[in-house]
Amino acid sequence: MSRILSSMGCALALSFAASAVCADVVVVVSQQSPVTTLSRTQLTDIYLGRMSRFPNGEPVVPIDQKEGTDARAAFYRDYLGQSPAQIKAHWSKLIFTGRGQPPRSVEDGAAMAEFIAEHPKAIGYTDSDYITSDVRIVSIE
Amino acid sequence: MSNDGKTIGKPDPPKEHAVTSSWHHRLVEPPVLFTAIAVAALVVIWTITLNLINREYASAERAAITTTADLADTYEAQVVRALREIEHTLQLVRHELDDTPPGEALQILAEKALLPPEFIFTVSIADATENIIASNGEAAGTGAVPADLLQRARDSEGMVVGLPYRASAGGEFRLPFARRLGAVGEAFRGIVMVTTHAGYFVSGYEPDTLGEQGVLALVGNDGVFRARRSGDQLVAGERIDYASWMSADETGEAAPMVEVNPWDGVRRYTLARELYGFPIALVVGLSTREQLATAALLKRSYLWRAGGASLLVLAVIALLGGLSWQLQNTRKRIMQERIEHARYVEYLAFHDNLTGLPNRAFFSQLLIQGMQQARRYNRKLALLFLDLDRFKTINDSLGHDAGDELLSEVARRLQDAVRDSDVVARLGGDEFVILLPEVGAGNQVTLLADRALTAVSKPFKLAGQEFRVTVSIGATLFPDDGEDEQTLMKNADVAMYHAKEKGKNNFQFYSEELNADSLERLALESSLRRALEQHEFQLFYQAKQNMATGRIPGMEALLRWQHPELGLIMPMQFIPMAEETGLIVPIGRWVLETACRQNVAWQELGFPELSIAVNLSARQFHDEELLDTIKDVLRDTGMQPQLLEVEITESMVMRDMVKTIHILTELKQMGVRVAIDDFGTGYSSLSTLKQFPLDTIKIDESFIHDVIRSAEDKGLTEAVIALGKSLSLTVVAEGVETMEQADFLRTHSCDEFQGFYGSVPMPAEEFANLLQLQMQARRSS
Repeated sequence: MSRILSSMGCALALSFAASAVCADVVVVVSQQSPVTTLSRTQLTDIYLGRMSRFPNGEPVVPIDQKEGTDARAAFYRDYLGQSPAQIKAHWSKLIFTGRGQPPRSVEDGAAMAEFIAEHPKAIGYTDSDYITSDVRIVSIE
Repeated sequence: MSNDGKTIGKPDPPKEHAVTSSWHHRLVEPPVLFTAIAVAALVVIWTITLNLINREYASAERAAITTTADLADTYEAQVVRALREIEHTLQLVRHELDDTPPGEALQILAEKALLPPEFIFTVSIADATENIIASNGEAAGTGAVPADLLQRARDSEGMVVGLPYRASAGGEFRLPFARRLGAVGEAFRGIVMVTTHAGYFVSGYEPDTLGEQGVLALVGNDGVFRARRSGDQLVAGERIDYASWMSADETGEAAPMVEVNPWDGVRRYTLARELYGFPIALVVGLSTREQLATAALLKRSYLWRAGGASLLVLAVIALLGGLSWQLQNTRKRIMQERIEHARYVEYLAFHDNLTGLPNRAFFSQLLIQGMQQARRYNRKLALLFLDLDRFKTINDSLGHDAGDELLSEVARRLQDAVRDSDVVARLGGDEFVILLPEVGAGNQVTLLADRALTAVSKPFKLAGQEFRVTVSIGATLFPDDGEDEQTLMKNADVAMYHAKEKGKNNFQFYSEELNADSLERLALESSLRRALEQHEFQLFYQAKQNMATGRIPGMEALLRWQHPELGLIMPMQFIPMAEETGLIVPIGRWVLETACRQNVAWQELGFPELSIAVNLSARQFHDEELLDTIKDVLRDTGMQPQLLEVEITESMVMRDMVKTIHILTELKQMGVRVAIDDFGTGYSSLSTLKQFPLDTIKIDESFIHDVIRSAEDKGLTEAVIALGKSLSLTVVAEGVETMEQADFLRTHSCDEFQGFYGSVPMPAEEFANLLQLQMQARRSS
């Protein structure tokens, strides 16, 4: 089941960013979250601190993996089209000007899956290897 | 002559008026007016333009300064907060280390989310030997703490700001903040350190407000830039002379200043401000070029527009100016033409258009002026009256064109003969006057008159023939001979007539006696006009006598004027006047008619057929109606034509040969006889004489008078008689007074004679008695 979903996510990613390397990083939420799909713009806004709620009005807490992890680089590259340096500059500016704080980060994919499973308001990303039954892959359109 | 024209022109407008009106007249002249308008328009255009540009610049500068100040305020707040957060983190870690070993402390704080985001801030703990013993980032265990940072943190109680450094070659600049563990004085255990990338402190750089050339920087009081950003370019670690730069700035809280930043040579509105509580100053700068770019663009566009507008204004004004200039020129030209025309008309009005000399009207003014001047300066003025002799003859015989030509030439010669200050004018006909406005030496007038006489008497070439003309001149002096124009002119005229009487071609001054003569002459002239109507004329008859037989074959009719007051007047006293006035023609007709009627009457009374001779004057002879008149008279009186003899003088026949021959031939055909009177005084050549159909020649009495005493006259008389004989003409001697003369003539076979020796002229009744006596004598003998 999870394999199929993963392939689907990969196919979706392919269909949106043909040039992007298909990685096994997927966007996830808690099974308890009602969110099933997000647009790429919504995802970008959530991760760059411009949006603090899901489209349905629920509060959202974006979670990052630690800087330097493959999943983090792949996520920003594939879903947001941003390099680590750009992300760093973005958050530097927001922090310096006092307009926001970057998402808190977890150690790795496993920690992410665990954290997401426990927090219904959170959204994260992880290697598809760490998908559990407690988390749900959000399809990004 | 144009000079004279000016003196007579209308008076000039008053001078003062011309002066006062001249400057506003000059102001409305196109060159001045349009230049003034152009200058005014350009001044307005450029004043407005430069004003606008200045205003744009001023407002752009004000905006830049305000923006700089605002940016500095915001930046200060942001920097201070960022520094305080870092300081707070250092404090927190220090505090945690009091209870917890370094490795765990960071862990605990991270879990509590008390550390700043690790991908921007690295929190590390180093021991006293520069080794990093704990870190939440990559630095853990790898890098060494910069030696100077450790040194400074050890000696300082608060937070120290390290120098920027690169973690790896080509990597990003990092900026460390540190604080020693424990207080100064205690044993040095190490430091807590927060490191971030230098770009963090200038990440608030907004290209929208700061542009590409703006600056946002933090500089330590050691003169080292911790971070400096212009556009996307980030510089750290560069050093400037902080003390002198800040002191040169000396601004504190003051407004931004324009300066060329020493680090990159860019001119900026710069504001540097030392932070309170930190050994750091912030720098905010806006590039003047970028901030004023809009103003510069506007300036360019304004200048272009002003330039365009100026050109347009100049073009329009040049066009209008050109048109106006043309219009004015046209007007000026028309005015000029009018003035010239007016001058010409005036010239015509005051000049004789044949000779170009002043005319009577102009001369009259000149004379009056001259008299005024003479009176004022107590001078004398001379007026010369000139009248051409024989001009009528020339005009009649050669035609008016030749006459005009002659007058023009005379005018030229007179002009040449006088001084420039003298005036020559033509009064009309052949009358000229010369005005000498200033008479000095006594003979000056005489000299001038002589010059005029000489000038005129030189031969003229007219219609291919050479002619000589003379002039008679009379002169008057002002004020001696008259104190007003009329008197002067009249007296000059009188003097001129006197000159004519003196034989023409001479010059006479006026005198009182002349005036008396002239008065008599004037009286004669007016009474002459009435003489015919008043039947004051009378014919006397002088008998001709045959030289050989003493018989009377005929007589000469002689005109006498029985003036009611002056008594009997001889023809020589009034005939010239009658010639001049033209009265000679009716008088001549009366003579002819009376003579013929008398002759017919005598024949009817039974006297023998006698010829009767009548004198024709020059004017009469040339009168177109002469032949008709004679025909009429013969018909009216019933006179036999062969009994009538007309006497003409040599000078009359020589004037126009062709015409003379024509008239004489006509007379011949009518049967009228022709006699040449006063023969010998003229210049007729014998060959011409031959061509005329003559019947009689009468030897002039001047020859007869001296015929006995003068061998010359004797010879001439003999020759004339011989000539007459050879031409088969009747030769009559006039003025025979003595028996010697009569004998001489009889000896030389002269045909007839007249004179006191025979009989004197007498009235008709006496003459009838004489005839009666002769008839009785004849009968008795």
